[in-house]
Formats: sequence, structure tokens, C-alpha cells
Amino acid sequence: MKTLIKLTNIKKVFSTDEVETHALSDINLEVKQGEYLSIAGPSGCGKSTLLSLLGLLDTSSSGSYTLDGHDVVDINAKQRAVIRNKEIGFIFQSFNLISELTVAENVALPLTYRKDLNKTERTDLVTAALEKVDMGHRTKHYPSQLSGGQQQRVAVARAIAGNPSIILADEPTGNLDSKNAELVMALLDKLHAEGATICMVTHDPRGAKRADRVIEIFDGRIVSDSPTSETYIEEAVA
Amino acid sequence: MNTLSDINFALRTLIKNPKFTALTVFVMTTGLTLCIYMFSFIHGSLVAPLPFEKGDRIRAVDTIKSGMEYQGASVRVHDFEYLKERVQSYEVFSAYTVNTVNISTSDRALKFRGHYVQESFFEISDAKPLLGRLITNDDGLSGAEPVTVISHTIWQNMFAGDKNVLGKKLRINTEPTTIVGVMPDSYQFPSAGRIWLPYTTTAKGIARKNGRSVAVYGVLKPGISDEQANIELRGLMAELEETYPKLNSNTSAHAWTFQAAAMGSGTQIVILAMELSVGFILLLACINVGNLLFSRAIEKGKETAIRTALGAPRAKLVMQMMWESTLICIISGVLAVLFAGLWLELTNKGLLSSFPFEPPFWWHVQITQTSIIAAIVITLVTAFITGILPALKATSGDFNATLRDGTRGAQSKSSGRLSKGIVIAEVVLSCALLLLSTGMVYSVNQQNNIDYGTSVENIFTARVGLPEAEYKSDEKRLQYYQNLKATLISEPEISAVSFTQGLPGNDVPYRTISLEGVDYGSKPQYPSSSYVGVANNYFSVMAMNLREGRTFDSRDKIDSPLTAVVTDNFVNKFFKDGVALGKRFKFSDSDNAWYTVIGVVNDVIYGQPIPLNIEKPTAFLSLQQAPTRFVAVVIKTTANDAQDVTGLPEMVANITQKIERDAPAYDVKTLRSSIMARNAGMNFISELFIVFAAASMVLAFSGIYGVMSNTIIQKTQEIGIKRALGADNSDIYKHFIKQGLKQLVIGLCIGVPIGIMLVTMLEKASLAQGSLMIYVGVPAFISFVILLAVYYPVSRALKMEPCAALRHE
Ligand SMILES: Nc1ncnc2c1ncn2[C@@H]1O[C@H](COP(=O)(O)OP(=O)(O)OP(=O)(O)O)[C@@H](O)[C@H]1O
Ligand SMILES: [Mg+2]
Repeated sequence: MKTLIKLTNIKKVFSTDEVETHALSDINLEVKQGEYLSIAGPSGCGKSTLLSLLGLLDTSSSGSYTLDGHDVVDINAKQRAVIRNKEIGFIFQSFNLISELTVAENVALPLTYRKDLNKTERTDLVTAALEKVDMGHRTKHYPSQLSGGQQQRVAVARAIAGNPSIILADEPTGNLDSKNAELVMALLDKLHAEGATICMVTHDPRGAKRADRVIEIFDGRIVSDSPTSETYIEEAVA
Repeated sequence: MNTLSDINFALRTLIKNPKFTALTVFVMTTGLTLCIYMFSFIHGSLVAPLPFEKGDRIRAVDTIKSGMEYQGASVRVHDFEYLKERVQSYEVFSAYTVNTVNISTSDRALKFRGHYVQESFFEISDAKPLLGRLITNDDGLSGAEPVTVISHTIWQNMFAGDKNVLGKKLRINTEPTTIVGVMPDSYQFPSAGRIWLPYTTTAKGIARKNGRSVAVYGVLKPGISDEQANIELRGLMAELEETYPKLNSNTSAHAWTFQAAAMGSGTQIVILAMELSVGFILLLACINVGNLLFSRAIEKGKETAIRTALGAPRAKLVMQMMWESTLICIISGVLAVLFAGLWLELTNKGLLSSFPFEPPFWWHVQITQTSIIAAIVITLVTAFITGILPALKATSGDFNATLRDGTRGAQSKSSGRLSKGIVIAEVVLSCALLLLSTGMVYSVNQQNNIDYGTSVENIFTARVGLPEAEYKSDEKRLQYYQNLKATLISEPEISAVSFTQGLPGNDVPYRTISLEGVDYGSKPQYPSSSYVGVANNYFSVMAMNLREGRTFDSRDKIDSPLTAVVTDNFVNKFFKDGVALGKRFKFSDSDNAWYTVIGVVNDVIYGQPIPLNIEKPTAFLSLQQAPTRFVAVVIKTTANDAQDVTGLPEMVANITQKIERDAPAYDVKTLRSSIMARNAGMNFISELFIVFAAASMVLAFSGIYGVMSNTIIQKTQEIGIKRALGADNSDIYKHFIKQGLKQLVIGLCIGVPIGIMLVTMLEKASLAQGSLMIYVGVPAFISFVILLAVYYPVSRALKMEPCAALRHE
């Protein structure tokens, strides 16, 4: 399999009011195409920060990052926006749907930032994405008219609408009850089965179990990196 | 106790947020200062009451001729006496006349406007002499000893406040006159009165057409409305018109207050425009402060919700928030009174001294008790408005929803609508105000730079008034002109000297004329023309253009047929065939002498350069044929700018005094400054409106900026989401600019018509002038400002990394 993501010696330091937080140190990570990666670790260890870097929502303090063979550290804001738009799909813990837009408009949002799609192509992609998450019947609703689980499914649809090469999810089930969490997880499984590359931060061991591979972060460093089966077998033994 | 702690709490909150406090106080102070200033100014001047017991019932009665409202001594004495015998609406109906008087003592000569009055004049104005007595009706009988009552100013200036002044004699227009009274400083009726003499004008034994004009005043009987009084006047004047169709053609009269008469009928509209403007500005200020308070209340929404959940009664929460706005408004109110007071002080010094006339004595441009009361009322009302709405709104929501609501910082729908509404309102108000202000400034600018039709910059002017007794004959007057001219021209700074009855930019008389060969019927509707007597060399000295024919010369003698030189307007208006030379006209209301048109010259603007005056026809008459005792001297300087010549006023005053002791030159100034003085009122008003425009722009910008940056701060997360989804900076800018544009367009669609309406309203009073440039420029400017107010906060939000924006609370 082709290597999609390659992080080398990534460091992230936040400096606020004379305090320096080393959120990430010496991160080396490779993610292959089609992999389902789960990121675990205690609160404040740097999981979200790592995901932000992966998603080009933030820049690292040092280190190199190649995405699909291209260096993405020294590119300008506009190019970063294009990569976020085409290559990356985000799913957030708090759904982050835009309340003034309908379900369909929310899903269409990333597509409207593309210059290479016309209106029918957009509508087709939106419909397909919403069908995939089983929300095709709610296109005209506003987010406030949906349940949490439904909102997160719409958010998943928005993340996959543009057929990105990577899906980044930061605790996608964190705000959901177990039944809805299960639904969203199943959805990610399905996407993975269809070939999507997924990086997901989760606290939920049941969710983590679904991934191929789990990395654990502690205090900004990767402390373990292993296939899922091993991790949970060890836990079970212990 | 509870209230006290509430106030204390509000005060602490304000002190803890110095930036917020400073901003709100600044905005509110701006609005309140303008409001209090304007209120005090209008109430201290334009609509100030006459400070007499019957002040509210005193009216001036003035002539309306062919739609023009005359003011001052405007009623023919014959008409006045006819009216006096018949009017029922008045308990006092009387008249005075005004004349320039030359006063000389053994060592000095001065010039004043003298008022020739009857007993009732002093009665209605609650006059009490400081020394001596007032003028009685007996003083006006023929053969009575000439007496005068002098003002405090004259008493101080000419007699150094001598207590034994009574019985002393003043040479008034060369006649020795006994001083019988001195008025206190506060007494200056009717406007800026300085010296009072007995009224002697009468219609008895005088041909109607030679009747003098008198200033008529009355005191309405209690309960009589202006409407009733005017109906009566119109009826009586119609009778006169019927009886004297020639003299009284198109002549009516109306009663109006002294205040309105002093400022002309355009005043009402100016006052309205001023009040509207400051109202708009105060509204802008209230909206801004209200919005700032509201967004603060929203920020504290959770806190409020927790308090409500803990059982705090809503009224208490509302009260607490109200105290904040009350404190802000009180602080601003106090500051505003101080600033307005200072500003009024400056106005007193600057403006009132630049007026061409002395301001009426009942003007008191200062902070008065009434303005303090008004300030308190305005302040409390604004405190209430800016406080109550945000407080009610902030406490009205479902507190449970607020507590549960996880969507961080998301702008609620209704508060989003509110801020959109605010932006629209700010656009509407500032647009209307800016259009109005620029319309006024534009017209004043046009007026100041207009071509008056003569030389202006290199001309010095002075007025002289020859004493009646010694200058009865035309020959003596002509001799005087000759002497004065010869003496002046020998000065090296002076290159030419001429004479005229009226200076460009200054008012000249306007009379009905009849053209030879035109049948005006039995109910004649005569046209009118301005007329100005000028010396032979006037046209060349003033660099006027002769279109055809000739100007006055030695052929136009006292005993030769009367001649006139008319302007383009005159020709266009009265000689449809374009042939003017050789045509004849006469003044329909007096003599029967015909004037023959011998030349046509370019138009000259007399009075303020408003369309009415610009379009007026003018006939120049020969001073040689009718030399007058009162005349303006025009002095052309060798310098290009008369202002550069120093010492000229003193020189002219000396020379005139040497030639005729009783005729000192007065009003010695450059023609430019006499024109500017004529426009001083308009200039002042337009400067005010520049201030209004600037204030409204600052308030609108800061308000819109505040709303926008608030909205954008609240939408920081949304911006983060969009960027995470691949929006680049231009996508984000486009989004917000599109949003702003919507409100801008709505605002302009309402604001531009309102503004144009206001400008058109003022255009009718010649106070403003619209132009395409303004109607396009102002909206463009506002659009620019609004885009700036959108652009800046967005660009700030975009400086954040998208992940930080996502985390934004
Ligand atoms: N913008 C920032 N400025 C300063 N410090 C930051 C910033 N963002 C994150 N941090 C710090 O970096 C560290 C890592 O934060 P991060 O959000 O990645 O943790 P996390 O692993 O996602 O935790 P959680 O499981 O609670 O979401 C924390 O100590 C946090 O306080
Ligand atoms: Mg996190």
C-alpha cells in the first residue's frame, strides 16, 4: 500500500503568556492508504493537536509533513485551503454544522469552495453523500431540527461529499449516546470498507477496537503504535 | 440599600471595563452634546421668546408683495393708517420707522439705526428707563421740542455713563436734540435698538404714492389666533388693492412673530432640518450604545441564566442592567452639558459677531435652565431606551435553553436579525444625514464661490449718509460725490472711485414696474424689478460687461429724460422680442416718470445668491439724475486683493469726516467681507451640518464596525469550520461582504430617498442643493465605509489559525 501521510520529527509548541506548552514532540508517523488509524491517550496529551496538523488546520513548529508525496509545510494559505477542501474530510465532536444552513447546504458547503464543479455535479455529490449516511430524507431541515446522531451523520456526509483521500475525526462519538455512537461508528466502518483512509481520535475502547491500528500518545509523544488486535488482547490479559 | 448595591455593582463593572466604558461614553457624549447644543441654540435664538409680559402675543405686520415676504418697514403709512382704524384682532396696533441717524457731539460723529416710536412701543416691551423718561406721543406732535432716548451703549460710549446726561443735547442728523432718557443695557427693542426718537410719520397731506413705509407691530387680543388675525389682514389688504389697483397690485400683508420676521420664513425649515439631524445623531448614538450593552448582556447570557435558575427575579436583573446604561448616560449627559456650554460660548464669540446684523437682544445663546432641563430629560430618556431593550431582551430568553445550549458562541437567530436591523438603521440614518449635510455644504460652497457679476476682490466699500438739512438740493449732493471722489482718488492705494445705492450681494429694493405699451388691465398684476442707482463710471469700475447700447454718461443730466441700464434678466423677462434699447418703463407704485433703456449689462446678484435673487431682473438708474443722500462708495484698490491694503478703513473714515463732519463713513470693509457677512448665517449653518455629517459618519462607522466585529467574533467558529472544509480567505471575505452588502443595499434604498427628500425640502428654501455627484458620491462613500467595517474584523479573524478559530468560545 502507498504511504499517504508521513510525519517526521514533528514538534508543536504553543506559547501563551510566557508559558510554553509542548503539545507535540518528535512525532514520527506514517499512515498508509486505506488504513484505519485510531489515536488514543489521556486528555490534554495532544491528540487534537496532532489531528489539526494532519488536517492542515495548524502548522507545526518544526518537522516535515508530506501528504501523498507532496511536501505540505512550505505551501501558502490558499494551497492549504485547496488541500483541505479536496483531500481531507473533517468530522468534529460537536458536529459543527452551520445553523443557518439546511442539511443539504451544509453538505454542499465544501463543494461550493471548488471551482471545478457545476451545480448539478454538486447536487449529485450531496445526494450521494446523504444517501450514504441514510439522511436523504432530511435535506431541507435545519441542524436544530435534528437529533445529535442525525447531526453527526450529516457531518459525516459533509466530510465525505467531496471524496477526500483522508477522513479526520476528532471524537466523533463524544457527544452521542451509545446507540447513535454505534450508528456513526458503523458508518465509518462502511467507509473504511469502501477504501477510505481514516484517522480518528477516540476515548471509547469499543470504537478504537474497530480500527486497524492504534497509536497512543502521552504528553505529546507517541508511546505505542500497534495493530488493534494486539492492544486489546494485552488489555484483556491484564 | 439594594439599589445602592446595584449602583455600586454597575459602577464596578464600568470601571473594570475601561475600554467599553470609554467607548460608550464617547458615543453617548457625542450624541448628547450635539443635541443639547442644538436645543440651546435654537431655543436661545431662533425661537427664543420675547422677554415681555405680552411677548407671546406681539406680532410684526409685514407686506407680502407678489409672493415676496418683506420685513421691517414694509407697510405704506397710508395702508397702515387704514388698517389701524379697522383691525379688530389687536389690542395694540402701531408703527415705528427706522432711519439711519448720524449723531455728533463736539468731538465725535457716529452712525446708528434710529427707531422713531410711539408710546405703545415702550408699553408692549415693558420698558423702564434707567434715567429720565420714555418718549410720549406728545413728543411726536409737530412743533414739539426734539427729544431722544438713548441706549446704555451710547450713554457709556459718548457720555462715559455721565449721570447728568439728561437735558444735554446731541446733534442728531444735524438737529440739536435733547436727551430725555437712558435705557438700561438689557433694553434693545425691537432688535438691537440703540436710540429712540419720536414717531412723526403721517399720511396726512402726503400723496399716497409718496407715502413712507413704516414698520407695523401689534399685540393680539387674548384668544385671537394668528390665523384669525391673518384672515382679517388679508381682507383689509384686499380692500385696499381693490381701491388702489395701481399702487397696491399684488400687495397683501401678514402678521408673524418678531422671531420669524427677524430670520425670515426659511427659519422653520432650517430648525426642522437641525432638529431632525441631531435627532438622527442621537438615535445613532442610542442604537450604538444599546447594541454595545446588548452584546455585553449576551456575553453574560450564561451568567444571567444561572442567576435566573437560582431564583433571581427578572425585574432585579433588568434593574441591574439598567443601572449600567443609566450611569453611562448620566456621565455622558454631564460631559455633554459641559461641552455644549463651551461650544455655545464659542458660537457667541465667533458666529454672532460675524453676523451682518446685531443679534436680537432676546437671543441668549447659552446653557439655560430650560436647556438643563431638556438635557436631563433627553439623558434619562436615552438611558431608558438604551438600557431597557437590551436588558429585557437579554433576560427574556429561555434560561434553561441557554444553560443546555452546547452550540458555543453560535449567534442566536433573533440576535442575528437584530444586528442586521441595526446595520440597516445605521446606514439609513447616516445616509440621510450625510446627503442632507453635503447638500447644504454644497449649496453654501456654490454661493460663496458664485460670480456676482462684478469685480469683488479688489473693491473696498463704505457707506455715507448725508444730513438732510444741508443736502436738500441735488446739486449739493452731486458736489459732495465729486469732492469725495476727487479726494479719495488722490491716494496712491486707490485707483478708482464710484458710487452706488446697493452693493453686490447686499439687498436692494424691489419694486413693481409697468412697461410702456403693455395693458395690465383693470386689476393689474405688475411685474417687479430691483433697482439700483449708480454713478456714471460704476460699470467700468466694477468691470461689468456692456452687452449693447451705452452706460450712463454726461448726457444723463438731472433735467434730461430719465434713463436706465438694465440687466440680461430684465431683457429676458420683459422684452420677449429681445429688443431693449429705446423701450420705456416706469415704477407703477409712485411717480409717473418714464425711464428709457439705453443699455444692457450682465446680471448682478443682489442679496444672497439664491435662485430667486440670481434670476431677479435689475434696472440701474443714474445717480446723476437722482442723487441720494445715502450712498455706498466703491473704492477700487491698486492691489489685486483689497484685503492687502492696510489702513484704508481709517483713511476713508478720516477723509469722509473731513469733507462732511456730519457724514462719517460707516461699514468700511472689503466687498468680499460684506458679501461673506451676508452669507454668515448660511455659512454657520453649513458648518454645523459638517459637524453633524462628521459625527454621524463616526457614529455610523463605529456602530457598524461594532456590530460587524461582534457578529464576526460570534462567527469565529463558523469561519473555522468553513476553513476546515476548504474555504480560503477570499471565500470568507466574499461571504461576509455579501452579507454586509445586503444590509447596505436595503439601508441605501431607504436612506437615499429620505436624504433626497430632505435635500429637496431645503432646496425650496434655497438652503441646500442636490447634485448627481452628491447622490452618487454619498452612497458610494457609505458603501466604502461599510465595506471597511466588514473587511477589518474579518481580516482579523482570518489571522487566526483555523484550529484556533474552531476552539473559539
Ligand atoms: N491554542 C492553544 N494554545 C495553547 N495551548 C494549547 C492550544 N491548543 C492546545 N493547547 C495545549 O496543548 C495540549 C494538547 O491539547 P489537545 O487539544 O491536543 O489535547 P487532547 O489530547 O485533544 O485532549 P482532549 O482529549 O481533552 O481533547 C494541551 O495541554 C493544551 O492545553
Ligand atoms: Mg481533543
